[in-house]
Amino acid sequence: MLIMNNVSRIYRSDTIQTHALRDFSLEVKAGEFVAVTGPSGSGKSTFLNVAGLLDSFDQGEYKLDGVSVHGLQDDELSRLRNEKIGFIFQSYNLIPDYSIFDNIDMPLRYRGFNAAERKRRVDHALEKVGLASRADYLPSQLSGGQQQRVAIARALAGEPKILLADEPTGNLDSLMARQVMELLHNLNQEGTTIIMVTHDPDQAREVSRNIQIIDGQISDFKIYAPLHSDVPKDNTNVKEVLDV
Amino acid sequence: MFSYNLKLALLSFKRAPSLYFLVLLTLSIGVGLLCANLALVNSMAGDPIPEKSDQLFHVSMNTWPNDTPQAEPFHILRYREAMKIMASDIPKNATVFYASNVYARDSQSKSLQRFDSAVRATTPGFFALTKAPFAYGNGFAKSSGMEVVIGDELNKKIFAGKNSVGQTLELDGELLTIVGVLKPWSLRPLFYHATEGRAFNLTDDIYAPLETAIDLGWSIHARSASTVRYKGVQYTRDRDVFYLQAWVELENKNQQQAFQQYLDAYSQTLKDAGEHPLDIRNELRDVNAWLLEQKIVDQKVLAFTLASILFLCVCVFNASSLLLSRFHSAKFEFGLRRAVGASNKQMLMQGLTESVLLGAIAGLISLILSWLFLKLSTEFLPDLANIAVLDSKLLVLGMLLALITSVSSALYPLYRASRYTISAELK
Repeated sequence: MLIMNNVSRIYRSDTIQTHALRDFSLEVKAGEFVAVTGPSGSGKSTFLNVAGLLDSFDQGEYKLDGVSVHGLQDDELSRLRNEKIGFIFQSYNLIPDYSIFDNIDMPLRYRGFNAAERKRRVDHALEKVGLASRADYLPSQLSGGQQQRVAIARALAGEPKILLADEPTGNLDSLMARQVMELLHNLNQEGTTIIMVTHDPDQAREVSRNIQIIDGQISDFKIYAPLHSDVPKDNTNVKEVLDV
Repeated sequence: MFSYNLKLALLSFKRAPSLYFLVLLTLSIGVGLLCANLALVNSMAGDPIPEKSDQLFHVSMNTWPNDTPQAEPFHILRYREAMKIMASDIPKNATVFYASNVYARDSQSKSLQRFDSAVRATTPGFFALTKAPFAYGNGFAKSSGMEVVIGDELNKKIFAGKNSVGQTLELDGELLTIVGVLKPWSLRPLFYHATEGRAFNLTDDIYAPLETAIDLGWSIHARSASTVRYKGVQYTRDRDVFYLQAWVELENKNQQQAFQQYLDAYSQTLKDAGEHPLDIRNELRDVNAWLLEQKIVDQKVLAFTLASILFLCVCVFNASSLLLSRFHSAKFEFGLRRAVGASNKQMLMQGLTESVLLGAIAGLISLILSWLFLKLSTEFLPDLANIAVLDSKLLVLGMLLALITSVSSALYPLYRASRYTISAELK
């Protein structure tokens, strides 16, 4: 699904170069739920931005669903983002004066679906996140957890190959965070590939695989082991040092 | 996608109404002011008869009988030269005329109210040469006869706009029958009489046969010059009184050359007879050359138009700066749309749709402002009344200008927006 080989991302200013990703290699298979952890400034967000085609990279190779993204034009990158990737942001990133329906409808507009198809997809996505009755609400009329579920519905409506979640529960209390995590697990069990950046060790433990990024590289040390023994474990890039 | 972009544009206006109001006002004032100036320039510099302006020639001759006051050709001619021109069979059409003024009333009316009316005392060829548009009847066939053609305005004043052919007008006490009524007819500039500051006068109220007007002694209401004393226009036929203007229609170069030779040969006969002490200089100028010669485009208006263009540039910069701040405040939404799959091209189309909508609204406001500017101008400068006209060409130009300036204002903000880093806008 996602293969990165020796990907580097360097931010340059007049005086310094910052290696946000350094010879970064990772393969994520279809159906995996990967948690990405690491200290602040370690390169987690850069990895997610590069993986989500929101940022470019300087060296290496990156294939998404079999497509090498290096050298693609803006139109092609946009189409890949639209068709293959769903984003879930920590701060939901809903447009405040759009209805829930319009927020979820937005990415579908750029896919060129007709009105009937867009409605079908939005309704289906809302049903999946349990907010079918809230289509006409404004984001401000929903709780934080509900807003994040709307953001998930927006990501799902395009039926993407992979969901990229950047601390999806970072702004939620524990109860709402649990509901959102349950939703993500359900989606994963239905076959959706998910990569999630998180600071929460419990959440990292719940998923099939977790990796830690330090100084722009995958660390040799894995802090959290999966709770579920029935999910496939991938030790290609990481070494499990702690079983709970 | 267009309807979606339109919806987004309207939503954007709703989000920042004050800012968009300022952008609209800035662009509308700039375009409105320029349009008002262009309306004046358009009237002044326009071609009043484009279909044959290169075939109609004003005739100037220097047949002054002594070596004063000048050696330059005169734009007014004696009766004898005028008749010589009319005698030629080279032009397709020819006309000679002078301007006069009479008081007119319906001879059958009980009302004694008379209307001060501008008269063109002319030969019949005038109507074909100028393509005067007839609503009813037609022109008179001879240069003498108690017949007249009247203009639309006078027909409205006296006969309420009805077909008045066959009615009799009392003109300075004489009864003349109406044989033709013109449609509303505006010539900007009034090429056939562009001298003496009349280039932006209205077309005449009454067109009367030349010989009749002379016989009736209808006085000359335009520039005239003479070397002798004379009691009235009826005594001008065989005297050195210069007052008639002449126009000829020459369809090609051969006709022009032939007619030039015809005039020069006539001048030579005068010279041979000792009646022409000056050099032979007869000039034919087509409509646009004649109008250029008369310098009817006011240089002050041209200077003000240039200033209006510069002012519009300042308006575009201001609008651009306002839109830049608007785009800057919408960076998050821009980044989000890009993240979920909108390409730069799609975002550009969204921005352009907004600009075009803004331009269309600005265009409508600017046309209203143009009209107000022109109204205001004519309040202070009544001479501008006949040229301060927004014709359909100007309306289209105003809309186009508004659209172009609106899109231009948005170009730099759109370029900046296309350079935003998506990930940076979504933090």
